[in-house]
Amino acid sequence: MKRRHLLAGLASVGAIGAAGLVTTGTLSGSSETESETAEPVEPTTLETIEAPGSSDGEVTVPAENRPTFVDFFGTWCPPCVEQMPALGEAADRVGDDVLFVSVTTEDVGGSVSEDAVVEWWRENDGDWLVAADVTAELAAKLNVGAYPTAVAIDADGRVQWSASGVHTADELVDGIETALE
Amino acid sequence: MNRRTYLQSLAASGAVALTAGCLGDDGAEGTVLGPPDQDLNAAVHPSYGDELPDFSLPDPIAGETVSPSAFDGERSFLWTSFYTNCPDGVCPALILRLRRAQEVATEQGYGDDAAFLAQTFDPERDTADVLRAYADQQGVDLDTGNWHFLRPESYEAGKELLDETFGLVIEKVPADNYENLEYKFPHYGLILLVNDRGIVERAYPNGASVDIETVERDFETVITA
Repeated sequence: MKRRHLLAGLASVGAIGAAGLVTTGTLSGSSETESETAEPVEPTTLETIEAPGSSDGEVTVPAENRPTFVDFFGTWCPPCVEQMPALGEAADRVGDDVLFVSVTTEDVGGSVSEDAVVEWWRENDGDWLVAADVTAELAAKLNVGAYPTAVAIDADGRVQWSASGVHTADELVDGIETALE
Repeated sequence: MNRRTYLQSLAASGAVALTAGCLGDDGAEGTVLGPPDQDLNAAVHPSYGDELPDFSLPDPIAGETVSPSAFDGERSFLWTSFYTNCPDGVCPALILRLRRAQEVATEQGYGDDAAFLAQTFDPERDTADVLRAYADQQGVDLDTGNWHFLRPESYEAGKELLDETFGLVIEKVPADNYENLEYKFPHYGLILLVNDRGIVERAYPNGASVDIETVERDFETVITA
């Protein structure tokens, strides 16, 4: 008998050991990772969207010689709506020393129109830079898990804080401050 | 003996105690990748070196039936299970990993050697139209012809397949927090990478958080070998 056949048929959940299970039903709040020795993130240039607080152009993430905060969202994502007021407060509190940008991983200009993103942005009182990661290349580099995901990157391009789920403004600012030190 | 029947009888017999064996430095038979850092051979789901049991499921958008065995010698694939009403971001995180691998496959020109199988466990709500809208929302490219949403004939049929073939036990439970949902489905965020011989190269049981570039790299290594 081939061993792999036996293994494929194992029926005991207890046998799974440290396999690291995820359940969709209970994941909430944040899963956080901090990396003091992380490699710098390779810069990715994204197109920005003409919307309140944001103008048409390009943005490179992470910024050079400046901390960067990225909020990953989708217009399809209800918790991302819930996250918006705290993002607005955090953006005001951290000021211009930090590149503060929300990034949708939707195929903006393709399967999702730019107008739809602008409308969502307006409805949810967005008032800072918003960009489109149309191939999800940046999302891959920053390893986005559940939406929304918040990532704070220091001036050397190293991820200092990454957390998925909805956060308060205080939590966001605390996370961003880890990238200022 | 039919392999599938055999697996079913094993699963039904309950407790099968095995200790994961040591494969040494060499890869398992039929694999491209070496053994993973973490030995998952004792897990309930298929893992490194296992032959994935064959199955057939409808792709409601393409209007065809998809079986992994049809990819033999043709395409390596990534498989995951999800549903569009997933109350948090875990399912999109799973889909994002397959989508990124699809992007890279297209960019690198091996899209015709790849397939992406996303199996809903909520066929009652995830109709062809709903799945098509979900693809648009999540940036999935349906035009490449290598992405297949898989929709079991019924919730029960899907549940049985997930249990028997993938070791995933799902159950409908009340979801009080989500007014517009009747159910939510706890499950493991499993992604499988299967080569064009039908052998599992990698199982990522933490599929919603597994490093995206690792999945991209593993898939490319297998497909370009």
